[in-house]
Amino acid sequence: MKTAPALVGITSFAVILLVWESAVRFGFINPFFVSEPSAIALSLSRAARSGELWHNVTVSLREFAIGYGLSVVIGVLAGALAGRFRTVEYALDPFLWFLYSAPLIAFYPIFVLWFGLGVPTVIAMTFLLSVTQIATSTLKGIQSVNPGLLRAARSFGATDRDLLWKVVLPATVPMMTAGLRLGIGRALMGVVVGELFGATAGLGYSISYYGALLKTTDMIASLIVVVVLGVLCTQGLTAVEERFDSWRTF
Amino acid sequence: MFNYRTLVSTITVMAFLAVWEFAPRAGIVDATFTSQPTRVVAAGFEIIRTAGFLHDVSVSLSEFALGFTLAIAVGVPLGLVLGRFPVLRYVLDPPIMAIYATPHLALLPIIVVWLGIGMQSKIAVAFVSGVIPILVNAMAGVRGVDGSWIVAARSFSAREWDVFVKVILPASLPSVILGIRLGLSRAVLGVVVAEMYQSQAGVGNEIMRYGSEFRTDYLLFDVLLVSLFGLTATSAVRALEERLWTAGE
Amino acid sequence: MDARTVVEPAPHIQVESLTVVYEKPKAAGTLIAVSNVNLDIARGTFVTIVGPSGCGKSSLLLSIAGLVKPASGCVRVNGKPVSAPGRDRAVVFQDFALMPWRTVIDNVRFGLELQRPRGLTGGDLTERACRYVELVGLKGFEHYHPHQLSGGMRQRVGIARALAVDPEILLLDEPFGSLDAQTRDEMGSELLAIWERNKKTALFVTHGIDEAIFLADQIVVMARDPGRITKIISVDLPRPRTVETTDSKRFIEYRRQIRECL
Repeated sequence: MKTAPALVGITSFAVILLVWESAVRFGFINPFFVSEPSAIALSLSRAARSGELWHNVTVSLREFAIGYGLSVVIGVLAGALAGRFRTVEYALDPFLWFLYSAPLIAFYPIFVLWFGLGVPTVIAMTFLLSVTQIATSTLKGIQSVNPGLLRAARSFGATDRDLLWKVVLPATVPMMTAGLRLGIGRALMGVVVGELFGATAGLGYSISYYGALLKTTDMIASLIVVVVLGVLCTQGLTAVEERFDSWRTF
Repeated sequence: MFNYRTLVSTITVMAFLAVWEFAPRAGIVDATFTSQPTRVVAAGFEIIRTAGFLHDVSVSLSEFALGFTLAIAVGVPLGLVLGRFPVLRYVLDPPIMAIYATPHLALLPIIVVWLGIGMQSKIAVAFVSGVIPILVNAMAGVRGVDGSWIVAARSFSAREWDVFVKVILPASLPSVILGIRLGLSRAVLGVVVAEMYQSQAGVGNEIMRYGSEFRTDYLLFDVLLVSLFGLTATSAVRALEERLWTAGE
Repeated sequence: MDARTVVEPAPHIQVESLTVVYEKPKAAGTLIAVSNVNLDIARGTFVTIVGPSGCGKSSLLLSIAGLVKPASGCVRVNGKPVSAPGRDRAVVFQDFALMPWRTVIDNVRFGLELQRPRGLTGGDLTERACRYVELVGLKGFEHYHPHQLSGGMRQRVGIARALAVDPEILLLDEPFGSLDAQTRDEMGSELLAIWERNKKTALFVTHGIDEAIFLADQIVVMARDPGRITKIISVDLPRPRTVETTDSKRFIEYRRQIRECL
């Protein structure tokens, strides 16, 4: 059952590449605008051999790891505290709500004022974009714990610690991992956009750099690396999610 | 009326504003970098009177309106069709999911290469930002339609078109509206960021300019303005959504 | 020529060596739900089909509805083979299958909208729906949504929806299966009362033995692996039937008979 869609999916990508390549070859589209798959592949292999690709990927991934890592620590902590203490929840609520709906990337110029152009600003964007999602999901996960389960555990003499480790945490994990997955998407956005605006290395920088030089092929090559990273990260966390989530039936 | 929740929330917001206001006055931080609530309000009054403001707002609004309308016009029907026909979905699902997993604003530079730095590129970004969640949710809505409703319709000899109009469409409406709400905030963000990236006008353009001029208070006012717009529009859609849910579930 | 066909009218529904096969998920082969079943149902009778889960009783009913395609054999209604749902039949579903976004009256109107009887305006449809809402005892609830109703009330809507299109045959697929015991009994009595008015041909699938006897002129007992008919019992209990009917000796005898076949 599962192989058929996968096969169609691969075919689908192959057909897109084929149509793209031949449309350019036969002169239907100007390669200046869309380049062509073969040229992009060449550009990628050149970038890989010169070490440029690796350098950009490591820079971006490092920013991602630091920004997202901070988000996870602070987001889970804030969400857990808000889930445990009503007062914390009410205190954080207006801020979470604002961060959730504000166009956070618009704070970019302020971050530049604070941290200067470059890595720290990118990390700050990454953090800011993903932390709300993680905190909110953690909070919602804790709030969704069935009170009946808590009562049942208490009836068997569970202590507060038992409740945390044996009921609250396992019940919270699915929603929390969902938040972590959504957070990844937003963190990646933070990295790439942060680098688009001002950086000296990284995938976003390289997209922006080649864009300014109108080197479409190199730009699309970097873009494709971003797409692949995005898909890999999301798929990776979806796999983790499914592992923790297997007891869920809905 | 004044319950514990609102009390705590109000106190923390007040405390935040107070610290923000008085920290620069006490010389703990530099107001050039952090601004102050009072300064932001004052900046608002000044900005509204500046010559370019109305123009910038109208440019941003029309970019958003055009791009987002286009996103709805394409995303909803395409999503519904993809949801209904599994074969098409298998074919288009992988590229759509790839775009969904990609930070869509990474497309900014290429869109600028294609469409220039004028309004067209912002409309395109609003479209791209908005269309994916709309499409994905419309598709999920159709797939989530309870099979028993379709069987019930069939038992009354419903034609395919009737099934679509009388069952699939109303059943997936809440999901479609949800997609529109998600797409809306992304489209607002898309327009502003696209303007911040490269543009000649618009609120995002102002934000970037004020940033480079170190006018934090002006910048913050514009950010708040955009947030307020996004919030109002999103709340309006959410209100619509809640009415649908209470009617439907 | 068979002499019998001359005296007796042709059966309303004829099931001829019907076999229904399902593909198991994950390509794990096929499942024979109904195997070579023959059944004649006379016009105006109330027939119940009873059997354990998995005996193909629902599949049989859904094939008559035209919602399930047989692997072989055929179903005839008024002598004509059935290939799809038609105006002469209406189904009441176990899970009610009401549209949650429609009010009670609009749900009853649903089937009418789809079939659009000739010469009727939108107003006529609403009026007719209104009559059937009243018939099933939901007057005053016309503008409620399904989620505001109890299970019993929801199924009344389901029954009204089926009756509103004025079918010749009413097909009920375990309609009271998800209701509590008391509601179930009440609904059974009311269904009979409605049925007595114009005696449409009714086919009622259930796994409740008492329900099967209480409602039926004829009980079809089915068994599983493969799904087949093991016995057909004619029920000779006076109508209208009441709660006392279930205490009668004859009733208890039927109950024993069925239990033996199951």
